[in-house]
Amino acid sequence: MADLKLVNIKKIYDKNVVSVQDFNLEIRDKEFLVLVGPSGCGKTTTLRMIAGLEEITEGDLFIGDKRVNDVPPKDRDIAMVFQNYALYPHMNVYNNMAFGLKLRKFKKDEIKKRVDNATKILGLEDLLSRKPKALSGGQRQRVALGRAIVRDAEVFLMDEPLSNLDAKLRVQMRAEIQKLHSRLQTTTIYVTHDQTEAMTMATRLVVMKDGLIQQVGAPKEVYDKPNNIFVGGFIGSPAMNFLNGKLEEDYFVMEATRVRVPEGKMKSLREQGYAGKTIVLGIRPEDVLEGPVVNDSPDTKIRASIEVSELMGAEIVLYSKVNNQDFVARVDSSCNVVAGETIDFAFNLEKAHFFDEESELRINTN
Amino acid sequence: MINQLRKIYPSLLVYKEGCDHLDRAYKWFVTDDNKIIGIREEELTCKDVALLVTFLNPYTTDLPVLTVEEQKWRKVIQMAELSPTSEFKLENPYRLIYFSFKENQISPILFKDAINELFAKQVSILWENGHEGIIIEEQMMYEECISYEQIIDVLMSDLYVKIKFFVGSFKEELKDINQHYQSLTKAAKTIFSYSNKTVVTYIDAVPYLLIDQTELEARLDISKTVLQDYINDEETLKMIEAFVQCNLNISETSKVLYMHRNSLQYRLDRFLEKTGIDVRQFHHAMAVYLALIARK
Repeated sequence: MADLKLVNIKKIYDKNVVSVQDFNLEIRDKEFLVLVGPSGCGKTTTLRMIAGLEEITEGDLFIGDKRVNDVPPKDRDIAMVFQNYALYPHMNVYNNMAFGLKLRKFKKDEIKKRVDNATKILGLEDLLSRKPKALSGGQRQRVALGRAIVRDAEVFLMDEPLSNLDAKLRVQMRAEIQKLHSRLQTTTIYVTHDQTEAMTMATRLVVMKDGLIQQVGAPKEVYDKPNNIFVGGFIGSPAMNFLNGKLEEDYFVMEATRVRVPEGKMKSLREQGYAGKTIVLGIRPEDVLEGPVVNDSPDTKIRASIEVSELMGAEIVLYSKVNNQDFVARVDSSCNVVAGETIDFAFNLEKAHFFDEESELRINTN
Repeated sequence: MINQLRKIYPSLLVYKEGCDHLDRAYKWFVTDDNKIIGIREEELTCKDVALLVTFLNPYTTDLPVLTVEEQKWRKVIQMAELSPTSEFKLENPYRLIYFSFKENQISPILFKDAINELFAKQVSILWENGHEGIIIEEQMMYEECISYEQIIDVLMSDLYVKIKFFVGSFKEELKDINQHYQSLTKAAKTIFSYSNKTVVTYIDAVPYLLIDQTELEARLDISKTVLQDYINDEETLKMIEAFVQCNLNISETSKVLYMHRNSLQYRLDRFLEKTGIDVRQFHHAMAVYLALIARK
């Protein structure tokens, strides 16, 4: 088991393309840390720098107490799982798991001991003699995990390991990886572009964009207090609504529509000099309310026509517009609304966020 | 020739197949008829070595010993023109795949062992040096296909090394193989100086290879003329490059860039207004794509 420390890490590719910069992070022993962000944000590059597959242009990387910038990947005591869960097509499951150890000249009985252990952990006992073409996608991915487990490494690095699986299997494997982590307690760094995967699996999240860390925190913390508009919009599905408006007196005003800002938040905004200024209101779809509760909130009531209504099972997602700005509401499926209808909504502004229009940073109003 | 050389260098020996390793006390060479010969280093001066490499190919001891099949391929590739009496018989279509990995990270023997486990039949590998070479892959009828992207991931997790592949097209005859081998090796080095991708096919490489053939001035002129005021606008150019890579598909591009499709449409409209180039049209997109490569 090991702690990792990344200090002022920077990666510049040829032709001066900066891929990652100012990356400072301490990863605790046994932690399940998820690097999440859109394509091109630098998350895979960061993982590969930790693995040693990409050189670190500037900064220091420590595994335990040892600076490992110049340590070859094979000597870093890591195991990797990648997006392509391809296996050696002509080897059976046992040999697929054993092959990495054979290449490293491990003794036969040690190889057997380790493969047996991984087999038990992953429940692969009945599949050992099968070749990859006789395995399902999920089984192949479990074998790929087995190939990592037999390394008995201090750190697991996983790069989008579930993104080639179909949606149902992805959910199943997500739970299996979590179980595996709680059993093995190996420090794990996991890369994904899927915010749901990140939210459900992480002990801590690192949200990245354009090579920079946007926020580090526990999933709930990042969801409840996003540092900026990007994080607010990236984490959560459906995404947070962002509405532009002006703070006038005690109201957030969007042309003809206005909603009253709770006293405490308004006081804080005023103290920070936002009165009379244009700011961005961020409100999550579940905080846009519908039904009888709307009548209890006359100050935050808005009337809008529904453009699209999507039944998701237990809830309905309603797409609408207020003063030409799109917004989404997530309401209970008992709400009987169809596209084309006009209804009243109320914004639960106690749970809303305000962002500076220019810097896009969250304004602290708590 | 071997007997004549042995008169000068009595330690000379010919490598016999089946022996695992080449003695490191010897300097090893490959003769024209693909025999591997070794001469004890203490018997050689610098001048001797310089002279010997004018008619023998040096052979690195860290490299796997050539199999009979590999020797045949090497011979046929080294021929300037394929002799009609050549005993080499092509059984299946083949393609050449250039590979490279970071120097001194893994042993070529381990690499070869791992590569061979990925194919139904043992593949031939001709090494340029300890970290680059050409894989000769024969097309097998019923073999389960595994892509080179997948191969990279499998090998990276076992060998802990970053590998690059430049994948040639399948060929059904040996004619011009010498030229093909040379141009593929050269093209691979060119393409990886432009692209960060780890697997590039010959088809993907064509625009890069064409641009690389042009003079620097012509490249500058193309990029300036096409990209105009946007030549230093990294954000817009990155967006257009992604749009081209997503087959001019707005929805796909907006997903990849995490950008609202309306914002993307708006920015493409702005680009059209300012430059007169509509990247939604294939021929305009192609021109911009070439200009983007020329700018690199």
